[in-house]
Amino acid sequence: MTGVALEAHAVTRRFGAFTAVDTVSLQVSPGEVVGLLGANGAGKTTLMRMLLGLLPASEGRVDMLGGPPNRERRRRVGYVPQNLGLYRDMTLAENLDFVCGTYGTPLPAVPAELVRYADVLVAAMPLGAQRQAAFLAALSHGPELVLLDEPTSGVDALARAALWDTIRAQSDAGVGVLVTTHYMQEAQQCDRLLLMARGRLVGQGSEADLIGDTRALAVRTDDWAATFAALNAAQVPVILDGRAVRVADTDADDVRRILEQAGLAATVTAVPATIEERMLVLARGADRDGARSVS
Amino acid sequence: MIVKEFRELVRDRRTVGLLVGLPLILLVVFGYAANFYVDHVHAAVVGPQAEQVAAALPDFFDVTTVDPAGTEQHARDLLRDNRVDVAFVADTDVTALVDGSNLFAAQSIVGALNGMGDTVSTEVLYNPDLTTSWVMIPAIIGLILTFIGTIVTSIGLVREREAGTLEQLAVMPIKPSTVILGKITPYFIVASIDMVVVTVLGMLLFDVPFNGNVLTFALGAAIFLFVVLGIGVFISTISQTAGQAIQTAFFFLLPQILLSGMIFPLDAMAPGVRWIGYLLPLTYFTMISQGVMLRGAGIDSLWPAFLVLAVMATVVFTAATLRFRRDLAPERRPRRRGTHAGATSGGAA
Repeated sequence: MTGVALEAHAVTRRFGAFTAVDTVSLQVSPGEVVGLLGANGAGKTTLMRMLLGLLPASEGRVDMLGGPPNRERRRRVGYVPQNLGLYRDMTLAENLDFVCGTYGTPLPAVPAELVRYADVLVAAMPLGAQRQAAFLAALSHGPELVLLDEPTSGVDALARAALWDTIRAQSDAGVGVLVTTHYMQEAQQCDRLLLMARGRLVGQGSEADLIGDTRALAVRTDDWAATFAALNAAQVPVILDGRAVRVADTDADDVRRILEQAGLAATVTAVPATIEERMLVLARGADRDGARSVS
Repeated sequence: MIVKEFRELVRDRRTVGLLVGLPLILLVVFGYAANFYVDHVHAAVVGPQAEQVAAALPDFFDVTTVDPAGTEQHARDLLRDNRVDVAFVADTDVTALVDGSNLFAAQSIVGALNGMGDTVSTEVLYNPDLTTSWVMIPAIIGLILTFIGTIVTSIGLVREREAGTLEQLAVMPIKPSTVILGKITPYFIVASIDMVVVTVLGMLLFDVPFNGNVLTFALGAAIFLFVVLGIGVFISTISQTAGQAIQTAFFFLLPQILLSGMIFPLDAMAPGVRWIGYLLPLTYFTMISQGVMLRGAGIDSLWPAFLVLAVMATVVFTAATLRFRRDLAPERRPRRRGTHAGATSGGAA
């Protein structure tokens, strides 16, 4: 397939006075894995549903496989929703039978690791196997475009790696893939990243592009909880990574001063920023913009 | 904890509706509808002495037909067609033919006739012993169909929404009409089997007669099933969870039980409540099932009930499936703003 597999032109979705997705434009090309990143509530799932034509856009336009999303074009799309879309009170074999019967395609070869679940109810399968089964069902009709909503949520690292192997195999075969996630580790698996915050697309490119000139500080302290609380109270963009406190886009002297005033001893050192920190900075920027537009 | 519970409660509109609406419904029903005594009945008087007999009848008998040329067969036809509750054949002797399928009216009539002494001989038709189960079982068949049609169907449909598989169906190449048909057909079949089982068991266990045409009965049941399935589909479109579906279905089910004439006779209800009964599909199915099973009535006399059910089925089923389609074919929904803004500028950074 040539051209663009999926394209959104300034799509907006409002629910009453609330704007869930705000003038977002994006493209997914065949063979490309595009990661749609954003924190919970950033608008990723709403955007995904608009891209599929399951939710009408309040404004803007979506082109999927050469035209507006409709039933005929969706036939050429594979979709794995966040909640998998499998019938939990049916076995894996029954689910595959239903999906393939609907698409009119032959039953796919069941991978060795799923064979033992063929006659097991989906509800009784481990989550990793359920997600793998959802992939199998969604890809069984040979789609040209695949949309995956939080596809590896809740699965262990090994199962996640296996699912990403499947995603890469699809893109290698020329399938365009759009995958939403809030796992930043998964971002590195994508060819291109889109970053959403508060319904807006606030950045796109590679991981390095997204991080840009964002600065980060690591704060080493014995009392991480009090340190986090003090910095958070001072409205500094701070995140907690385990027990490590990290601060984004803030001057080191400002951080030291805040901690001194709070009576906390800490060592502050500059470190390379991560996408999480960039997201935090962008989300706060979007918040401020939103607050300004409301006021 | 108490404050928390109240906060949750007032935000759950369906539960508030149940808590406020249910007592009001029960109050109205038991205040105005819960009355087994029928204080007037429709009567016909036929035969050579019809005019004299009609003039002598107490006010309890609301004489709607006086036909001196009428015969006993004419009187029986009037009863079979449910046009009167009692028909007097006034010849040399006076015989009162009573419609036993209208249980409470029949009991009141027999009581009134007994008070008139030996001047009138009485014959109760269709339910000679005035057995309650003979009247209840045709109505209970309708109640079972209502239960399956509303509660079971709505839960089955809402389960798709809860599991997220409804969204998956919307992505798959299945027409919305196929999805709806595929979802409803099993319930239609199960309800039909239930109906046959209950009808046969009712006949075997309680000796309920089946005097009419099976096809007439099946047609009435099928139309009624479309109405209640439509209600079930509609409930599923306004419910996000199985719990909500059950609550909402309860609102539909309770009036059917109390106000359809199944328990309390419609004729004994206050006019302000009786009209609610005439809005309920079970009222009309009960007319058909009792008419066919007990009186052997045909479509020629039951057509008004068939017509009302057919209109209800068309309206309810169409409206419900159109609402359900919106979840499966969202691209058909009209959008409030322009569909093709066209611009690619905007938030993409």
